[in-house]
Amino acid sequence: MSAAEDQADVERVLAGDVSAFEKIVRRWQGPLVNLGYRFCRDRGRAEEMAQEAFLRAYRSLGKWRREAAFSTWLFALATNLYCSEIRRIPPNTVSLDDIAEIQDAGAVDGGLLEKDRDRAVRQAVLALPRKYREAMILFYFHDMDIPAAAQSLGLPEGTVKARLSRGRDLLRSKLAKTLGERGSE
Amino acid sequence: MTNEELDRILSSKDDDIQPSSGLIASVMEGVRSEADMPPPIPFPWKHALPGLAAAGAALVCLLTLLLDQVSHSAFPLPQAADVLAWRTPVIDALGWSLLALALSLFLVKLSMRWAAR
Repeated sequence: MSAAEDQADVERVLAGDVSAFEKIVRRWQGPLVNLGYRFCRDRGRAEEMAQEAFLRAYRSLGKWRREAAFSTWLFALATNLYCSEIRRIPPNTVSLDDIAEIQDAGAVDGGLLEKDRDRAVRQAVLALPRKYREAMILFYFHDMDIPAAAQSLGLPEGTVKARLSRGRDLLRSKLAKTLGERGSE
Repeated sequence: MTNEELDRILSSKDDDIQPSSGLIASVMEGVRSEADMPPPIPFPWKHALPGLAAAGAALVCLLTLLLDQVSHSAFPLPQAADVLAWRTPVIDALGWSLLALALSLFLVKLSMRWAAR
């Protein structure tokens, strides 16, 4: 995905060529839908949120300052929207007790199949307090890139690091209890 | 569970989803209807400013006239303390009026900014 292509398409849209926005949507629909999906684990809602994010991006294209990459700006806008949406209507999260039930039903030896366990861990992120959840979602979405996560959240890198560390601790300790594992710290 | 395990699970793209085929079309439908909408009507500052300026000037004239009338009235000159006691409410009222005017202007600007979003 080229920053130059983004810039050229944005210039065309701003010059009045609405169809150029389609290329932007085509290029970024995957990442935006998947970012939304990480916030709610609901495909339909993720697409709705991504659609709204694109509309907002279209309305405020003129506000994009070229100092930052278009993708950085777009992710920050989408993150802002998704966080507000999730605050407004929280997703149906699986509680950590439910994860224990999955564990009981998952296998005879009381352990989860690896795939189920991975899914349970991802679901458990949604049950974290908001500030840790948002930092963790953005950090892993951006392939563990703290500066990118910080830019998307509009927070200092130090704050993101601290929230990430606390979020991981919380997640690990709760999962250790519910999944019957011993945290190896 | 170690940090490495958490990192592996949470950074994995295994559960990534593919956007549905109609997403682009529905986004572009929304974008086109936005593009077809007429731009928001800007506040007519050009027309409103003379009126606002005239209203301000009239207020100042009225207050000056009122103060002038009181100071040149046929009644015996009041003591300085009386004048101050009389003028204080006027000054207070003027202050409140200016505050209300400033607040109104601020609210107009704020609503215009929200409307522009």
